[in-house]
Amino acid sequence: MDTNHEQHTKARVRAMSDTPMLEVRNATKAFGSLIAVRDVSLTVQRGELRAIIGPNGAGKTTFFNLISGFFPPTRGTIVFDGQDVTNLAVPERVKKGMARTFQITEVFPELTVHENVRIAVEVAAGYALRPRLSSSERAGVDHAIDDLLERTRIADKAGRLVGELAHGDQRIAEIAMALALKPRLLLLDEPTAGMGEQETFEIAGLIRRLHREENYSIVLVEHDMRLVFHLADRITVLAEGALLADGTPSDIAANPDVQAAYLGHAA
Amino acid sequence: MSATVMRAPAAQPLDRHRLLVLGLVWVILLLCPFWIPFIGGYTSLGTRILVLGLAAMSLNFLIGFTGIVSFGHAAYFGLGVYGCGLILRYVTASTPLGLVAGMLLGGLAGTIIGALITKRRGIYFAMVTIAFQQIFYFIAYKWNGLTGGFDGLRGFTRANINLGFANLDIIKNDYVFYYFVLFVFAIVAGVMGLILRSPFGRTLLAIRENERRARFLGINVERHIWLAFTISAIFIAIAGGLYALLNNFADPSSLYTDLSGELVIMCVLGGIRVFWGPLLGAAVYVVLQDWISSHTVNWMFFVGLIFVIVVMFFPRGLLGILRRRSEA
Amino acid sequence: MLQLILFNLFNGLIIGAFYVLVSLGLSMILNLSNVINFAHGNFLALGGYLAYVLIPYIGFWPSLLVAPLLTAVIGYLIEVSMISRIYGRDPIYSLLLTFGLAFMIQDACRYIWGVNGLPLTVPNNISQPLSQTYFFLNAYRLFLVAIVAVSVLGLFAFLRYSRMGMRIRAGILDLDTVSALGINVRRLRSLNFAFGIFLAGLAGVLAGGQIGLNPNMGDNLLLPSFVAIIVGGMGSLVGTLLGGLTIGVAAALTAVVWPAASDVVVYIIMAVVLLVRPRGFLGEEGMQ
Repeated sequence: MDTNHEQHTKARVRAMSDTPMLEVRNATKAFGSLIAVRDVSLTVQRGELRAIIGPNGAGKTTFFNLISGFFPPTRGTIVFDGQDVTNLAVPERVKKGMARTFQITEVFPELTVHENVRIAVEVAAGYALRPRLSSSERAGVDHAIDDLLERTRIADKAGRLVGELAHGDQRIAEIAMALALKPRLLLLDEPTAGMGEQETFEIAGLIRRLHREENYSIVLVEHDMRLVFHLADRITVLAEGALLADGTPSDIAANPDVQAAYLGHAA
Repeated sequence: MSATVMRAPAAQPLDRHRLLVLGLVWVILLLCPFWIPFIGGYTSLGTRILVLGLAAMSLNFLIGFTGIVSFGHAAYFGLGVYGCGLILRYVTASTPLGLVAGMLLGGLAGTIIGALITKRRGIYFAMVTIAFQQIFYFIAYKWNGLTGGFDGLRGFTRANINLGFANLDIIKNDYVFYYFVLFVFAIVAGVMGLILRSPFGRTLLAIRENERRARFLGINVERHIWLAFTISAIFIAIAGGLYALLNNFADPSSLYTDLSGELVIMCVLGGIRVFWGPLLGAAVYVVLQDWISSHTVNWMFFVGLIFVIVVMFFPRGLLGILRRRSEA
Repeated sequence: MLQLILFNLFNGLIIGAFYVLVSLGLSMILNLSNVINFAHGNFLALGGYLAYVLIPYIGFWPSLLVAPLLTAVIGYLIEVSMISRIYGRDPIYSLLLTFGLAFMIQDACRYIWGVNGLPLTVPNNISQPLSQTYFFLNAYRLFLVAIVAVSVLGLFAFLRYSRMGMRIRAGILDLDTVSALGINVRRLRSLNFAFGIFLAGLAGVLAGGQIGLNPNMGDNLLLPSFVAIIVGGMGSLVGTLLGGLTIGVAAALTAVVWPAASDVVVYIIMAVVLLVRPRGFLGEEGMQ
C-alpha cells in the first residue's frame, strides 16, 4: 500500500508542470516583540499533499494564516502558482484559486447544507452581485451543487440546517464550500480537530479521495499523527516558530530532531 | 429522505407554506379598510401602520438579513419625508415626483454615509449610524428658511394622481389613499423579496451568518454591506415619502433618534428573522402606543417599559416564537 | 472681538468638560461591557435632581458627592437586575434595553419633578463674576473646570494604580484572560458601570448649577459624547478625553462665525476623522 502510494505520487508529480503550486520564501511573522513564525520556507508541488505539524505553540496556525492571507507576513514572500500573492487580500487570493477551512468550523449555521454550498457556488461563478440568474445559469448552479454534494457524500443531509448537524458533517459541508470555489490549492486547518473516531475516519477518507482521485493540491495543519503519516506526501515540522524538518513521512519518522522536539514537549 | 425530496427551499420557486403566508398577508392588507373599524381602528391608522411597517421592513433588510444594526435609520426615513415635502411645497404638486425625490435624497445620503462606515461592526456600527443621523436632524432643525425648522414644513398637500383614464382622489378619500400606499408598499416589498432571494441577497445572508466564512468564499464583505445599506436607505426613504403624503407635514422628529429606536423595536417585536415580522411589529407598536398615549400623559414611561419587556422576555419577537426558519 | 473669542473659547472648554465627563463614563461602559448606554443622559439628569432634593438638607458641597453616589447606586442596581442579563447577546438588545430605560427614567423625572425646569442653587460666594471685562469668568465656572479636571485625573489614577482599575483595563484588552485568572467579570462590569454612572451624576449636578434642571437636560450631551468617543478612538479613554475637548472647543469657536452650524460641526469633524483616520485619534487598530 505504502509503496503503491509513493509510486502513485511520483507519477502524478512528474506529470505536472515545473512551477510549484505554492512557494513560501523566508516568511516571518511578528506580533509586537513576539515572533510567531521565524524565517520559514516551503515548496509545495502540484498534486502534493503537504502536512504541517509541530508541538503546540509551534506557529502552525500563524504560518497557515500567512499562506491563506488572513494577515500579511512581517517579512518574506508567498508565491502561488508562479505569482507573488504576499500582499493580496483574501478575496483576490480566493479568485486566484486558494480556498481554506478553519480549525473551528466556519459555516452558515442557520442555512441548509444546500444553501451553504449554493452561496459558495454562486460566488465562485461570479454571481455575487447579481439580482437574478438566467435559467441556464441557474441550471448550472444547481448542477454544480448536486455534484459537490455527491462528491463529498453529504447529499442525504442537503436540506438540514448546518448548525444542527454533527461536528463532522459540518466540517464536510465546509469542505464542500471550499471545493465550490474550484480551488487549485486547498488549505485545511486541523480538519479533524475535535472529531470523534468515526468522524475522523470519514474526513480522512474524504481528504484522501480529493487528493488521490481528484488530484487536489492540499496543505493541511494537523495534530493527529496517524492521519498525517497516512495521508501526506511530505511533512513540514515547525517548532517554536522555525522550520525543524521537511521530508517524506518516513524521513520525518526517522528524524531524531523531530523526535526530540515532540518528546521534549511531552516531558 | 432523498436529496431531491429534501431540496432546499431556496432552490424552489415558492413552496406551499410560503404561498399560504403570502396569501394570508395580502388578504389581510387588501381588506384592511373593511375590517379595521370592527376592532376600533380607522383607515388612516391602517395607512400609518403600512407606512411605518414598510420603514421597519426596510431597516430589517439590514438587521435581519444582513446582520448589521443601524440605529440611525430615521435619518433616511426623514430625508424621504423632507425630500417629498420640499418638492410638493416648492417645486410641483406631483405625488410621484415627490416620492422619487424623497427616495433619491435618502438613497444618496445612505450611499455616502454607508461608504464611511462599512468597516465598523456590531455596537460600533450602531454608534456611528446614531451619530451621523444627527447631521440631518440639525440641518432640518436649523435651516429655518427652507425646512421651517422646529415647527416643521407646512403648506403642502399630496396631489391627486391622474392616470389618464381615471383620477385617483387620494387627497380626500382615505380608502383611495390607503390603496395607493398599499400599491407602493407592494412594489417595495416585492423588490425586497426578490433581492433577498437572489444570489446577491444570499451573500447578505452569508455575511449575517458568518462574516469570516463569507470573506473566505471571496465575497467583498465591505462592498456588500455598503450596497445593502444603500438599498435599505432607498427603501426606507420611499416609506418616508409616503409618511409626508400621509401627514401633509414634515418635521424634525422624523429624523430623530427616538424614531430610529422605535423602528428597531418594531423589527424585534415582530421578529427580525421573518420577512413580515416588522410589519406585524409596527402594527402592534402603533396600536399600543396609540392606546397608551390616549390613557396617560406619562406614555413615554410605558413605551420605555415595552422596550424593556420585549428585550427581557420576548427577544425573538412575536413571529420568531412561532418559527425559527427565515422567510427569505 | 478678542473678548468674544475668549468668551466662546471658555464656553467651549466648559461644554468640552461636560462632554468629557459624560463620554468618559460612556466609554468605560462601552469598552468593558460592549454596551452603548442610551440612558446615560438620563442618569445625568437624575444626578442633578437628586442634588436638588439633597441640598436643602446637607448643602451644596456634600451634595456634589452624595447625589452622584446615589445615582451610581441606582445605576448599579439597574445593571445587576437588567443590563447584565443581556451581555453577550446581539448588540441590538442592549441598545433597545438602554433606549427603553432612557424613556422610563426621563418620564419618571418628569412625573416626580415636573415638566418645567428647576433651578439648582449654587452657593452665593462662587456665583459672582470675577472681573468686569471677562464677565464670563465666575468662580463657579472655574470650579467646574477644576472639578472636572480633578475627577478626570482621579479616574486615570484609579485605573492605573488601583487593583480594580488595573483589572478594568485588563478586562478591556482581554476579557477571557481576566476571567480565566479567576476575576469575577460580572462584578467587575457592574462596578465599572456604576463608576460610569457616577461620572454622569456628577456632570448632572455641575450642569444643574450652570443651566438649571429639566428632564431632558442630558439629551444634548449624549450624542456629542458618542462623537467624542468615535473621534478620540474606540477603546482609548485618553482619546475620549481629547475627543471631548476637541469637539467642545470646535463647536464653541464655530458659534463665533456661524452660530447655526455649531451643532453640525461636531458631526462634520466626525465624518472627516472617519474618512482620514478611521480608528480615531488614539484608537486601537482592531477596535472598530
